[in-house]
Parts: sequence; structure tokens; C-alpha cells
Amino acid sequence: MKVDVEMGGGSPKLLERKQAVYRNLDERYEIHGETYKGQQYSHIYFTRLHYMRNLLYSLVPKWKPNLPVNTVLGLEEEKECIIVGTIYKHMKLKPSILDEYSKERSKVPLAKPHNFVHPDDHLILEDESGRVKLAGSLLDPSAFVTGIVVAVHGKETSEGKFFVLDMLEAGLPPQIDQPPSSTEDKYVVFVSGLSIGSSTFNPLQFQLLVDHITGHLGDENEQTFASQIVHFIIAGNSVQILQGLLNGQTIAPRDQSTLTEPIKELDILLNQLAAAMPVDIMPGPSDPANFSLPQQPLNRCLFPGASAYNTFISCTNPHQFELDDIQFLGTSGQNIDDLFKYSEAKNKLEFMERTLRWRHLVPTAPNTLGCYPFTDKDPFLVESCPHVYFVGNQDKYETTLLQGSDNQSVRLICIPKFCETGVAVMLNLRNLECHSLSFSTGLNV
Amino acid sequence: MASVGMGGFYRQKKRGGIAKPTLKRSSTGKSAAIALSFTDPDQSPVLGAIAEHGKTASAVAFEEERLRQFDLDMRYGPCLGLSRMERWDRAAAMGLNPPGDVEAILLKSSAAAADCHWEGRI
Repeated sequence: MKVDVEMGGGSPKLLERKQAVYRNLDERYEIHGETYKGQQYSHIYFTRLHYMRNLLYSLVPKWKPNLPVNTVLGLEEEKECIIVGTIYKHMKLKPSILDEYSKERSKVPLAKPHNFVHPDDHLILEDESGRVKLAGSLLDPSAFVTGIVVAVHGKETSEGKFFVLDMLEAGLPPQIDQPPSSTEDKYVVFVSGLSIGSSTFNPLQFQLLVDHITGHLGDENEQTFASQIVHFIIAGNSVQILQGLLNGQTIAPRDQSTLTEPIKELDILLNQLAAAMPVDIMPGPSDPANFSLPQQPLNRCLFPGASAYNTFISCTNPHQFELDDIQFLGTSGQNIDDLFKYSEAKNKLEFMERTLRWRHLVPTAPNTLGCYPFTDKDPFLVESCPHVYFVGNQDKYETTLLQGSDNQSVRLICIPKFCETGVAVMLNLRNLECHSLSFSTGLNV
Repeated sequence: MASVGMGGFYRQKKRGGIAKPTLKRSSTGKSAAIALSFTDPDQSPVLGAIAEHGKTASAVAFEEERLRQFDLDMRYGPCLGLSRMERWDRAAAMGLNPPGDVEAILLKSSAAAADCHWEGRI
């Protein structure tokens, strides 16, 4: 992949784009082998509890070596012990389908708030034998969600509740050592929320991004910089189909083209990108992919132009891959947005940190976020710590370096919506440093 | 749920195995069949045993009982939505050491129901 540079009067100098060794690890998120037999979600919770409980049992002796470990049914009053189970958070404001059938006029307003946290929420710990309410002021329910597995130390009170004295989370998973840092800079560009087809999409803005990345803009310095970009990731919400047309009625022929316009436009842009460098495209909540997680790769038929290139890779959501032995893991934002609705934290990065500490990418699935009812595995468990963890479709660009207790180091990245902010994110593979790339087409700077 | 009787009458899956119970269920008197499965001819070990080679009725009943115990054992997770063999395989893959005699019954016995006790009833 070469970029021509014309210097006034001289012969054109060719800049070659750098390359990185890419390995796609999306197999665990693919559903092609599964057949739905009418099973329910109990199996996914069972496998999650089983895996996490074995993990926590191995960590408990180091945490509190002298205490017995019980099941919920084996609790004895006033005897201090440790129990391991799945947290269920009872939320007063959580929308329930049964509210529609409630005979009393509901006190809760029907307009849904953005955040369902209420001071009266309480936590319950559950395993196969039973469930018990967690009491005490150590655990703040607003920091937890249904679906995470933890170990709690405490004792049963006379009321039948479990008074919590201490709590253990699994913590960051072990991390494969980062490869020794190379001497050359290689960059990865992340973008999300293009929303082609929506009113906020500015075609010139994205075209600027594409031209800059492919090296058609700028002087020799800029082009040298652009030639160091080795990979391009689109983290979801690339198109937005007009919702008014999708109400179940037959679409008039003239409206049919408005349905397909955004995807055709996206294909043209992807064509330009794929011709220049490897492109990964992930589906998001508004893309034409399945609704429940893990979202399957966007069909290659949608991109007749771009899929002719072997550099075009359609990926699942969540997406896991390796570039030059650096582990990447990311989603299009549904996991963090759902945590934001059902719990509180000071910023989105803190939610991301919590998902890593709980070792589960989407703890609220299948409770409040749709997911496939797997029977023999839970693919969202994070078994090894990534080096880079990114989440798309967020409100603003945020990043931090998270340090773990076992020498783990993760770069957390929140990728903002491009249609609203015009910001893409660049990551340097040499030192995992991040910076933003901002494009503006306004006349007043 | 629709009565189990009609669902069994139009059963699509083949029973499989060497000897199939050839007795058809009669439509009279089979409503509200959430009764004990002993009255259900498709699953009745007594009638099924007639087709089974060299097995007494009590041996078949014992096997069915053993399989039901396996279904309800909560160590191996929920039983609905999974065939018994799949659940056994899952338990083995997770390292839970499911009982070997249950596997033997599932592999060799053709009268053993493939699905768990509650399948179709919940």
C-alpha cells in the first residue's frame, strides 16, 4: 500500500504503509454452531456461576484463610462464613412488563428516566441452593448490577439476612506479558458512531478523515504520519436507517432506495479505506445486525465493493483481536451504556474498570441486555486481561491507563460518536499512548 | 400449556433404538396428562418393557428413576432445554464428574427418554 508524494519538480517519492501482524480472535463470539431449542437463560447463569465460583474459591484462601465457605442453604445464624453467588439487584424503578397490567395507577412516571437507580435498591446473593438478602452498609447497591459473581464474608442475622463484613471481587484477570516495545511507531485508529443516514452525519467530515488516513491530504510530514497507521477499527453504529419506514408496512418503491442509501454510502467509504489499509467493522445497536449480544458480523453482501478486498474484515461485537501480539478487546458500547442505566460511577472509564474487575464484559446480559441463551458457555467472561480495552459510541473521548495488582496494565479508551464530535482516536502500539484526531468542517474555528 | 397427551400424539421425533414401543396412544382418557407418567403409554416402563429385550419392568423403572435423580440434581445445573445426554456432556466438560452409571443408561437404553423429566411440561 503505497502513497504517492509529489514534490514540486522532483520525481514522486513512494511512502510505504507499515503493517502489523493481525490475528482475529472472534471465534468465541460466533453463533454459527448453535441451534436454538427453546432453552431459557438459566444455563448461561449456571455456567457463569460455575466458572466464577471456581475462580473465587481459589482466591478465598489468600483473602480470608480461616473462614469456612458455605452455600446459601448451609448458612447458620451468627456464624461467620463466606458465601459465593450471583448478585441480584432489586430495583424499584426498573421497568417491568408487568407494570402495564398493574391494577393500581402506577406511581412511577411512564416516561422512562435515563437512570433507574433509586436509594431503595437492595442486593440479594443467589446460588443454586437459594438466595439471601445482603444487609449492612459496606456494599453500596448503586455500584453493583445484577449478574456479577462475588464472594462475601459476613454472618446470617436473626432476620434471615446476611450481614456483610467484607466483599471480594475476582479482580483483573492475568495478563499475557506485553511484547518488548519496538522502536517504531505504529498507530491504530478507532472511530465509532458514524451514523450515515442520520441528520447529524456530515459526509465532508468523514471524507476528510478518510483522505487524511489514506494519505491524500497534507504535506510530506502528514503523509509520513499517515503511513504509520496500520489498522482502522469502526466500533459500531455506522449507519442509521430511517425508523419511520420500518413500521411493518410494505415500503413503496421510491422509499426502498432511502432504506439502502446509507449502506451504499458506507460501502463507498469503506471501499476507499479498505484499498489503503486493513479495516475492521463491528456492528452496533443501530446497524443491520442481530439485536442480541454477541452481535454477528455484518453480512458481506451489504458491502459489495469493500468486501472484494481482503483487508476488509467484518467482525462480531464484542470484538477481540491481536495486533503485533498486543491483545485488544472492545465493544460498540451496549455493555457500558447498560451499566450506566442501572448503576452509578463517576465516569464511563470507571464502568469499564468494573467490568474488568468483575471479569465479565456484559454483566447485565441477559437481565437487561439481550443475549443469546447459550447452554454450555458464557462467552463474555474475560479470561485474560487485554492490553487495550475500547468501547464505542460514547459521549466524549476519555482514556486512562489502568494498573492491576498483578502487574497488569490496560489502556482503557472511550471512543466518542463521530457524527456528534468529529473525533477519532489514535493509539500508538509502541507505548499504548492515545490521542484524539479531530475533524471539523465549520467555517469558524 | 397444551396437554401433554396431544403433544405426544403428534410427536415428530423418532424414538430411535432397536425396538420401538409399537403401542399407539388412544385419544380417549388422555386429557390432562400431567398425571404420573406411569399412565402414559409412550413412557410407561411397563408397556415399553414388552418391546425391550431381556429387561424386566422393574429394571426399566429403576433406570428411569435414576435418570430422574440425575435431572433434579442441582449440581449439574438446570435440566430444561437440554437433552439428558447433552447435560451429561456439559457436566463432564465442566469437571463436575457426573455419575458414570447415568451415562451408561443413556447410551445403551433405548427406552430412556432423551429429554429431561420436565420437558414439554413447563
